[in-house]
Amino acid sequence: MAAPMAALGGRLRAWLPRLTQVRWSRYNPSYIEPEVNKELYRKPPVELAEEEKEKLERKALQPVKAAPPSLSSSVFSDPMISKFTNMMMKDGNKVLARSLMAQTLEAIKRKQLEKYHKAPADEKETIECNPYVIFHQALKNCQPIIGLTSITRGGKSYQVPVPLTDNRKRFLAMKWMITECRENKHRRTLMPEKLSQELLQAYSNEGPIIKKKHMLHKMAEANRAYAHYRWW
Amino acid sequence: MLRSLRGLLCRPRKLDHGYALHTAAKDCLSAAVSQDAHTPAPTPRAVFYTSENNPANHGEQHEGRHYSIPLEEVRAVFPHGLPYRFQQQIKTFNEAFLMVRKPALELFSYLKSSNFAHPAVRYVIYGEKGTGKTMTLCHVIHYCTRQGWLVLHIPDAHLWVKNCRELLQSSYKKGRLDQPLQASSWLKNFKTSNERFLKEIKTQRRYVWDKRESTEQGRPLGEVVEQGLARVRSASDAVGVVLKELKQQSHLGSFRLLVAVDGVNALWGQTTLKKEDKSRVSPEELTLVYNLRKMMMNDWTGGAIVTTLSQTGSLFKPSSAYLPQELLGKEGFDALDPFVPIPVPNYSHREFESCYRYYLDRKWLQHENARTEDGKEELRFLSGSNPRQLDRLAGPL
Repeated sequence: MAAPMAALGGRLRAWLPRLTQVRWSRYNPSYIEPEVNKELYRKPPVELAEEEKEKLERKALQPVKAAPPSLSSSVFSDPMISKFTNMMMKDGNKVLARSLMAQTLEAIKRKQLEKYHKAPADEKETIECNPYVIFHQALKNCQPIIGLTSITRGGKSYQVPVPLTDNRKRFLAMKWMITECRENKHRRTLMPEKLSQELLQAYSNEGPIIKKKHMLHKMAEANRAYAHYRWW
Repeated sequence: MLRSLRGLLCRPRKLDHGYALHTAAKDCLSAAVSQDAHTPAPTPRAVFYTSENNPANHGEQHEGRHYSIPLEEVRAVFPHGLPYRFQQQIKTFNEAFLMVRKPALELFSYLKSSNFAHPAVRYVIYGEKGTGKTMTLCHVIHYCTRQGWLVLHIPDAHLWVKNCRELLQSSYKKGRLDQPLQASSWLKNFKTSNERFLKEIKTQRRYVWDKRESTEQGRPLGEVVEQGLARVRSASDAVGVVLKELKQQSHLGSFRLLVAVDGVNALWGQTTLKKEDKSRVSPEELTLVYNLRKMMMNDWTGGAIVTTLSQTGSLFKPSSAYLPQELLGKEGFDALDPFVPIPVPNYSHREFESCYRYYLDRKWLQHENARTEDGKEELRFLSGSNPRQLDRLAGPL
């Protein structure tokens, strides 16, 4: 994206103000990203190949960027959970968002463990008690395969089916989950309880968010005729 | 040798049948699997579990191990008083496991060797936030109930000095305030835990509640409790009568009395309650607090007083305060002095291991990295071996 913008700016320099990037880094290009993975540092020198040894030696002399607060070296950190927590956050209150996420995971675990302990021995294997597995599977089940975008042609705007990138799919799944839990609940129900309920429903491919995904797929199927309006 | 073998034997458990079969099978399975050298099996239960369910027999060798309390006994002995998170754990795991720790064992040795002809000794359990003071108190209560004592358990004295919707002017004494709701809920729970004593103990004088009702001399104490539950207006006075009768009759020797109060610093602190003219209520103007303060004096024999200090529900106390002098204030310290202080520290290395293994065994730690050494060290570091922090951290994992 940066290259065509710069070229455009160069050609129309006479009458267009200089275009500057909105998001850019003040760091000198020699600064390297911080490496948080402890496993890499624990490998004994005998196992490393020649290039890796050289790379480590060079790294010891290069300056390192400051680690952002969201980067964690904990073995329990999960990027998807962090992203979901950030999306749940309101007004920058990360403490509250994180505690809500923790309570949600605990609620899922409690519900599943109760079911597990009450179930007969042969059904015990089928009950999944790990809240992280349930979370990831539920969000995966909520991801749409194809999306719709509005394209204006001849003055009229049409809903055109369009492929979605992975990031967009993940974003849509999380967004739908959070909006559903914020809006369609009883005034007195708390977020962790509603979220745990929706995640468990999505894990078993039921519930309002899965329905919304199917509606989107149906709309895309119905508007199949306009697919050629897409030019990318 | 015997200790390690005991964990490997299959034994029938005293819980209901379906669960007993499952746990017996699990015991055999874990014993069989742990005998295999090559598989990374669930570790033998001997590390964190003991089958000795009677607290009277708990000794040094049981330190750091969990023992189970049958669920019916939990309902009978602890109608109120267990921390909320522990109640949730009981509901999830369908069993109640309590860890045997040094402060509780210390208290048992004192109680076993105390002379009940002497005035009641006061024990104050103190410690930082979340180290297990309330659970130690519950352990002591279970021990005393098994020994046949009468347990007067006030689950949280802070609940009596804050958030009270109804304050009535006391009909017994001018200037005192009654709390009907708190008194009636306490009487209900007291009745559940001490049914048989209420039939045996008789009143020693006549009590007149109002123009129409009175309780004669020689009636069982259960009638006083029923009166308090039926006529909520006189519930606080009923509580006062119960406390007075128990204090007067404990020296006769027919029963041993344990007064267990959680958050005793509420009795001598300040309240957040206001009278109708918006002036602050001081604790001695509340009937319940006044009567309980009389109970805490060491002028009666035939029992013991075990109390806990608590900053968590306290009013107008800084969150870093945990020592008796800081939390009780001058008035409270002088009232309780002399007492036996019992400090409760964070988990030791062994206790942490035991708790961690228990969580793993009960499938409470589900994250795959929680099973690794790295995960365990991270939990130890983040929680600082504090029991409450460990519980909070292990929740979402």
